[in-house]
Amino acid sequence: MRVFGMTCDDCVRTVSEGLKEGGASEIFVSLKNGTASAVVDDSMIKPDDLSRLPVFSEKSHYRAQVRKVE
Amino acid sequence: MKNEYDLVILGRGAAAFSAAIKASEITAGQATIAMIGFGPLGGTCVNVGCVPSKYLIEAAKVAHTQSSPRYPGIEPGLLSINFGELMESLRRTVKEERKERYENVIKSYENIDVYDGKAQFVDRDAIIVKNNSNPKKLKGYNFIIATGSSTKIPKIEGLNETGYITSNTVWDLNSLPRTLTILGGGFIGLEIGQSLERLGTKVTIIKEHNTVAPGIEEEIGKTLMEILTSEGIDFRNGKKILRVYSRNGKKVVEMQSNLGKEEVEADEILVSSGRMPNVADLDLEKAGVKYSENGISVDETMKTSNPLIYAAGDVVDQKYRLETLAASEGSIAASNIYESNEKRINLQLVPWAVFTEPQFASVGLTESQYNATGRKSTTRVVPLELVPKARILKEYHGSFKIVVDSETEKIVGVHALSPYAAEFIIEGVYAIKYGLTFRDLIENSHIFPTVAEGIKLTSQSFTRDLSRMSCCME
Repeated sequence: MRVFGMTCDDCVRTVSEGLKEGGASEIFVSLKNGTASAVVDDSMIKPDDLSRLPVFSEKSHYRAQVRKVE
Repeated sequence: MKNEYDLVILGRGAAAFSAAIKASEITAGQATIAMIGFGPLGGTCVNVGCVPSKYLIEAAKVAHTQSSPRYPGIEPGLLSINFGELMESLRRTVKEERKERYENVIKSYENIDVYDGKAQFVDRDAIIVKNNSNPKKLKGYNFIIATGSSTKIPKIEGLNETGYITSNTVWDLNSLPRTLTILGGGFIGLEIGQSLERLGTKVTIIKEHNTVAPGIEEEIGKTLMEILTSEGIDFRNGKKILRVYSRNGKKVVEMQSNLGKEEVEADEILVSSGRMPNVADLDLEKAGVKYSENGISVDETMKTSNPLIYAAGDVVDQKYRLETLAASEGSIAASNIYESNEKRINLQLVPWAVFTEPQFASVGLTESQYNATGRKSTTRVVPLELVPKARILKEYHGSFKIVVDSETEKIVGVHALSPYAAEFIIEGVYAIKYGLTFRDLIENSHIFPTVAEGIKLTSQSFTRDLSRMSCCME
């Protein structure tokens, strides 16, 4: 995922927790690159729906695009 | 400069700027953005569209007021016009506006790289930027195509050889043509035509149709044409142009009508036959983007047939070509790329105006357009002379028309030919957007005396005889 809006380690924690609450696991968020990777069970949540999680909503500081699904 | 960007924007006019800034705001300035184009920054509006045309219109209005004062006791003054100086000041204003609103603005965004050159797709996710130096390949994840539109030049025998000006080049004039022939009855030709006529040019407008400005309510268009005719513009309606040629240093247009052939001779020809989208040479096929000669096909979210590529502004296949619409679409495209709540464009809520004097402004559907949807409309037309402020202004020519759904009484179209129409048409936008009826407009006080009160009076005319109403009553 490409993640926009992160400026500090607190942001990394917030984005990681947001992804976790959305059902993702094995989460890795890079502040330097503005990216995140995670594993999801697609019977629970479709990968493309990760960018619609509350942590990336209009009221949040962060936005995300799911760029690659493997 | 990078080789790969989060967002690549083709174009650098109103839609492109709006998209780039919105994308920067949404992503806290972290989206890497390339903006590619050629010519001065800012596109049509600031350089050769709204800004110079409105400058000329306002200057011509001052000249007209001086030569034709409206009030008894005020005599016409001796009009002295230095056209070269006026045009120099016009160009200076354009330059200042461009610097203020575009050049300085873009410098304040560190995440946006501006490229000079023509962009061409080489793949679904890559373009080549061509300019005088080496071509540069750029990759992007998302693209927004906002390459705008160009003046449409009709294929007329002898036109290229004889020479002409367009709405792009008229601003380079330094001497006022004594006579001018305008090809086409669109709103750009009307605005420039009235302005130059007021400054001293003898203007002839040649057009195929019997109405002016396509899409305008027919009776309002007819009134506008009568007003312009009364100022001296010579309309040649229902004419097919056969050829253009030079004769004794003049430019001659030969045309055909039911009555036979006729000619108009002038110092200059202004081509005002509409605009066409800039889709040629983009190699859109390589990007998987569907388009036609009318522009790029998009859905209501501004997405093209390639889900990662959006389009905005004049390059889109749509009925309006407006700066405000372009900026709105650029912003919507950027929002939809980065945000999950999809924003949609609603063309029925887009107001548009012709800045002739009086102005024409419109939002929503005309009577015939609404009836064509299969629903029944009820309409009212109120002449401008029934509006007290218009009588104070001694502006008697114009009208207001409101179209409502016959069953629900909800307003579906508001059209005005009057002074300041462009300033108050926003009332019509809100009325349509929020599903208001003409009764809702009546229940709210309008400032007296204003021309905008015409909207309320027209609403009242659905249920009342205006001649039996006292001032300001609801």
